[in-house]
Amino acid sequence: MCRLLLVGLILIANALAAPPEMLTLPSESPLVAFRILLRTGAASDPEGKEGVAALTAAMLSMAGTKEKTYDEIVEALFPMASSVSAQVDKEMTVFVGTTHVENLEAYYELLRSMLLEPGWREDDFRRLKDEAKNYLRIQLRSNNEEELAKEYLFLQIFEGHDYGHHSMGTIAALDKLSLDDLKSFYADNYLQGNLVIGLAGCYPERFAERVQTDFAKLPEGATRREPMAQTVSPKKLRIRIIEKDTRGTHIALGFPIPVNRSNGDWPALKLVQSYFGQHRSSKSLLFQKLREIRGMNYGDYAYIEYFPSGMYQFKPDPNLARSQQIFHIWIRPVEPRNGMFALRIALYELNKLVEDGISAEDFEATRRFLGKFVSLLTQTQSEELGYALDSRFYGIPPFRGYVKDAWTGMTVDDVNSVIRKYLRATDLDIVIITKDAAGMRDAIRSGQASTIEYVSPPPKEILDEDKVIGRYPLDVGSIEVVPASRVFED
Amino acid sequence: MRRVLSCVLLLMLLAGCAEEPETKIFPYPYEVTDIENGLRVVTVETAYPEVVALHIVVNVGSRNEVEPGRTGFAHLFEHMMFRGTEKFPPERWEAIMQDAGAETNAYTSDDRTVYHAVFSKEDLEAILELEADRFQNLKYSEEVFRTETRAVLGEYNKNFANPMRKLDEIVRKTAFTEHTYRHTTMGFVEDVENMPEMYDYGLKFFDRYYRPEYTTVCIVGDVPDDALALVKKYWGDWERGSYQPEIPVEPPQGEAKTVDESFHTPTLPIVSVSYHAPAYDDEANDSAVLDVISYYAFSENSDLYKKLVVEEQKVDAMYPAYYDHRDPYLFSVVARVKEQKDSEYVRDQILATVEQLQNELVPIEPLEDVKSHLRYGFAVGMNSTPAIAGTLAHFINMRGSPETINKRYALYESVTPDDVQRVAKQVLVESERTIATLRHAPEGGAE
Repeated sequence: MCRLLLVGLILIANALAAPPEMLTLPSESPLVAFRILLRTGAASDPEGKEGVAALTAAMLSMAGTKEKTYDEIVEALFPMASSVSAQVDKEMTVFVGTTHVENLEAYYELLRSMLLEPGWREDDFRRLKDEAKNYLRIQLRSNNEEELAKEYLFLQIFEGHDYGHHSMGTIAALDKLSLDDLKSFYADNYLQGNLVIGLAGCYPERFAERVQTDFAKLPEGATRREPMAQTVSPKKLRIRIIEKDTRGTHIALGFPIPVNRSNGDWPALKLVQSYFGQHRSSKSLLFQKLREIRGMNYGDYAYIEYFPSGMYQFKPDPNLARSQQIFHIWIRPVEPRNGMFALRIALYELNKLVEDGISAEDFEATRRFLGKFVSLLTQTQSEELGYALDSRFYGIPPFRGYVKDAWTGMTVDDVNSVIRKYLRATDLDIVIITKDAAGMRDAIRSGQASTIEYVSPPPKEILDEDKVIGRYPLDVGSIEVVPASRVFED
Repeated sequence: MRRVLSCVLLLMLLAGCAEEPETKIFPYPYEVTDIENGLRVVTVETAYPEVVALHIVVNVGSRNEVEPGRTGFAHLFEHMMFRGTEKFPPERWEAIMQDAGAETNAYTSDDRTVYHAVFSKEDLEAILELEADRFQNLKYSEEVFRTETRAVLGEYNKNFANPMRKLDEIVRKTAFTEHTYRHTTMGFVEDVENMPEMYDYGLKFFDRYYRPEYTTVCIVGDVPDDALALVKKYWGDWERGSYQPEIPVEPPQGEAKTVDESFHTPTLPIVSVSYHAPAYDDEANDSAVLDVISYYAFSENSDLYKKLVVEEQKVDAMYPAYYDHRDPYLFSVVARVKEQKDSEYVRDQILATVEQLQNELVPIEPLEDVKSHLRYGFAVGMNSTPAIAGTLAHFINMRGSPETINKRYALYESVTPDDVQRVAKQVLVESERTIATLRHAPEGGAE
């Protein structure tokens, strides 16, 4: 029988007595996937050097080595149609690549030298620093309002915390960074004890051991970090309105939760999130209320984990594991005339969830959905590796089995108790991006009822509910208008 | 019957390509069947277990929007297809998909609308029944139609800050005068805003295009033995239609065009150089040669990229854009320039590269690298059932059978330096060229 499926997760941490640790997924696929993960990231950026973790990773994945210029690396990778990409988050940095097994030797030699023998050339540094600044100023701040609202929400919630700057850094810090800063970061963080090497596919015998031996050339030890403080939630609603020339009004809101995958309540909270706002699913409650019934926008979702680039993808990328997560709601752009109503309906529905909980019927339906859907999260070897590495970070068994078992034994009462324990519709942060920021601020402050304009009036019960939603009280603690040009600058 | 596709077999298939151009790059066993009403069914065994990807490809896209004021309608209609039938109202449809744990969505492009779902193979019958019903019996009220048009406007608004959206709009509008590729799939914004008034046209659109002769049902993955019988059972009574759109033929452009536009929010200046170029083909090799040119001359491995992006660092992103289309479309090169003062220089460098392709024969070795890149790129991309189904849907829309993939990749293998020069001379000509620039011209006030 054909078996391109993965034949199982084999931890060979003990193959050699010393680190680095390895996670291997041997299979019969002719594609060999690498995920080389370091337990370090933007939360380890020293103060004043925000962006150094990301720029260091870029100098490994998109620059020359001691032996080869960047041009020569691109030229060597091109015929294989393979690449090495880096993803830097708060507590994880991962280098990802897949190649055909026919090219494995040549590909691995490039990958190895890129990560272990960086070239640290000034011209690469200048190019990648420009790229980082343009990403923050142009691609994110100016050209992607949906991502901007969500990213800014994280900055607002984690203000003053190790997570309090965008992983790419700040413009002010990037301007000051030197190549020596990157070399220091590399020396302090690219250590054997921070490393886990993920490998999958039809690689030859003894290849994994060879990789492990090569990466054992990194210095021994692991970075010691003080446990991160929990971020403090605001009292009432803390609202920031980013003023920007835009056609729509964008809203993101949320608050920190003391629950990540390692917490026994996580599977129940995951089920709640799926019911309330499953990403890109038309079945979830928020989507139904805002888009399907009222035609307010393109979609509305909720999350309990960081999920960047949600406008481009249906599934979250692995290896964005974080000790601290937030519950958040993403309202895609609504017409500005309906902006106030959108804010109120998001809070109203969240409050209703907290007060009423989930019905037994919705609980069962969501559980059935998730039990099958979870298998779709790991369709490729690389995804399977990524989830395995994340489970190792959180100290949980293999993800699929872990959550399925938890859901199997769960009751609707368990879920509703988790809702009461962790969710709320007050004491939270709100980010709004809109053109008439002052108008929005004044409307929020006034406390006046909001209305919604329809192209086709919905049924009477919806119109009646709209009146209630329109008067939903906004218990504002603080409200501030931020010009877009200030975002990510320092 | 399950075919064994071991690592070794796939290796042999791929290794064979370099020496034996007739070797097929699409390694999966497939069957193509036309049932009596004209519906095509394609099944592909991928050897990944348990999961099935269902892609329903309708050969209708913004290309079919031939009537004035109706741009964006194919895409709007994709939205309407989620608005239910008498038998399966939206909430029932959702519940069945949810029970299957399916990941489901749809997209529209210039040439097609595709409805796709991924789920466990045991749910195939339930989902085929559900999908067959909405393709035959879609029913929604005018109120629902009007409400959904606002979700489409929301989709337009969410992309508004992206300068590449604007660039796409202005290049098409300038380069095309007749053909429906003149507008984007999203449509002209004035048409999008007027969509609530087009309920009646929606009925006509469904009647014209949601017919078996426009549609292919692709079942990819761990395909159950009774898959074809199930399609016949639920889709066999669907009535064939008769509508044939008259898609206008684009006349020769005749003279070079330029367009400069400002963008409302800060962006780096963007320069694009486009030429009218042939439609997708798997017999004549011109379009395959242009694909090879796009990688050779303008990808990140090209001399021009190395010069502008890596060495001079005047450009922070550059890429070629020549996407397969059913009718002749555009071959473009797009560059994002760091400083406005370098825009003209970058444009001239692109033009000089085109001229070089016309005047000098390209060396053999880099062409072979491009062929290798295309071959391995295809293999690396086939890493899951949904990925294979997604690629297949594209080619089904082009030629109706997976065999076109093998033919197309065989064409790549045959491209010579003479072909490159010939096609560069024939296609990349000044009289068919449009140069567009987009930049932010601040007027003060909010960013």
